Amino acid sequence: MTGWLASITSRMDGLYEYDREPVTPDRLQSGGKFAGLFAGEHVAATEFVIGAFFVLHGVRAKDLLVGLLAGNLLAVLSWTFICAPIAIRTRLTLYWYLRKIAGPGLTIVYNLANAVLYCILAGAMIAVSATAVGLAFRIKTPALDAIFPTSVGWVLLTLLIGALFTILAILGFEKLSRFAEVCSPWIFIVFIAGALAVLPRLGVRPDLGNFWEIASTKIWNGIPVAGQEKFGIWHIVFFAWFCNLAMHIGLSDMAIFRYAKKWTYGLYTAFGMYPGHMLAWICSGIMVAAVGREMNPGLMAFEALGLAGVAGLVLAGWTTANPTLYRAGLALQTITPNWPRWKVTLAAGAITTGLSCFPIFFVKLLDYVAIYGLVLMPIGAIVFAEHWIFPPLHIEQYSAEKRGWAFNWLAFGVWAGTLVVCSLMPIHLYFRWLPGTFIALFSYLFLSLGRKD
Amino acid sequence: MLKKCLPALSLLSLAGCLAAPLLHFLGKLGPDAYQMIFLAASVGWFAFATLWTRRK
Repeated sequence: MTGWLASITSRMDGLYEYDREPVTPDRLQSGGKFAGLFAGEHVAATEFVIGAFFVLHGVRAKDLLVGLLAGNLLAVLSWTFICAPIAIRTRLTLYWYLRKIAGPGLTIVYNLANAVLYCILAGAMIAVSATAVGLAFRIKTPALDAIFPTSVGWVLLTLLIGALFTILAILGFEKLSRFAEVCSPWIFIVFIAGALAVLPRLGVRPDLGNFWEIASTKIWNGIPVAGQEKFGIWHIVFFAWFCNLAMHIGLSDMAIFRYAKKWTYGLYTAFGMYPGHMLAWICSGIMVAAVGREMNPGLMAFEALGLAGVAGLVLAGWTTANPTLYRAGLALQTITPNWPRWKVTLAAGAITTGLSCFPIFFVKLLDYVAIYGLVLMPIGAIVFAEHWIFPPLHIEQYSAEKRGWAFNWLAFGVWAGTLVVCSLMPIHLYFRWLPGTFIALFSYLFLSLGRKD
Repeated sequence: MLKKCLPALSLLSLAGCLAAPLLHFLGKLGPDAYQMIFLAASVGWFAFATLWTRRK
């Protein structure tokens, strides 16, 4: 068992070896680079689905605007005050910092959890792209309550698109990443242009004089579609806040902010949040209203911009599934001895493609995003406690590293225990992560008091 | 010369992508026309921006 763990640990360390050392001052990046990075990262195929779902959940126009402004601000502040300060003090990725705190064994578990979650996310992107390609073959998009594949056509289509994305990822991840940089501004324009193009269909006059009236009565009119629960302002605030929970409070964006000159660079995430997680969501809401509130991203894009819209949706799915497949592959590589890069990407692609056949991950995307953040959040709380609260209380930091533990069972217990408690909370799924964060933080703190110097 | 023109041509194409639906919204372009212009401007963006980034 110990030999097996040592072998996996050494392979995993090899994979991340290049960023083992803290970032040196000469490699720090300018604020403009951060603004560009975040602006490109947060306009994805899933934005077509998220904004549209808000309409289907009967959000009112005012609640949407105030909720998105507030929720995205809270997300930006979480990056700025929680993630960025730890990153610039340690100049390490979460992987290496967690290794000091939780030991290599728990870091493997964290990596594998991440891999599975990445595969599901990439699967949802494939499904979104499939709705666009399916239009040409008259393949019906699954209903909002679908869990299993609804037709042979849907299965074949998702398998085909998943296989294509995987093959392209194997052939050249880096070339695709460069292509994604070209796609990114255009995909953002697709959202704006699509919404603009369908406004006349909804009855908005060219002088925009009746825009608010149309927005409040025909788009975000407060009436959910059959089978969807009603969302209010707090659902929107919390959704916008936790949409990237794993990245800010979960600290995985330490990998990015370790290159920042100052912790205030966290504010640059606003360049991703407000165009991507506000404007794009509003635009997709307008587009879904124009197709009679039918959750079909392919139809939304086609009705708005014709073939170019369909291409936009496929490209958005492809360019965002590509790095997700890469990350999943990297995480999976820890348990695949001596496998070459192509083989690991193929395995990640096969899992992802299999998952994409199940429409539940696409039609329940909002819930999945909530679960994704929730699962990884306790690790961020543990790292936060260890970094900021342990030193003033004279509790020993980095016990796993100092004592040579392979597995910090206390951290694992707090992680698992927090998730159990969160699953039992009698509140909406979207709100559970916040008390969960405090539960993880304080329980790890109190249980660690025995390590006081 | 081409190197200097590529950023301008790329940005012009992107502006074309935005102008077409805007003109449709203002009632100056029909549905087929704006979709065709959007498609053409998109092709322009991918061609010029790809060359631009390659030369960078």
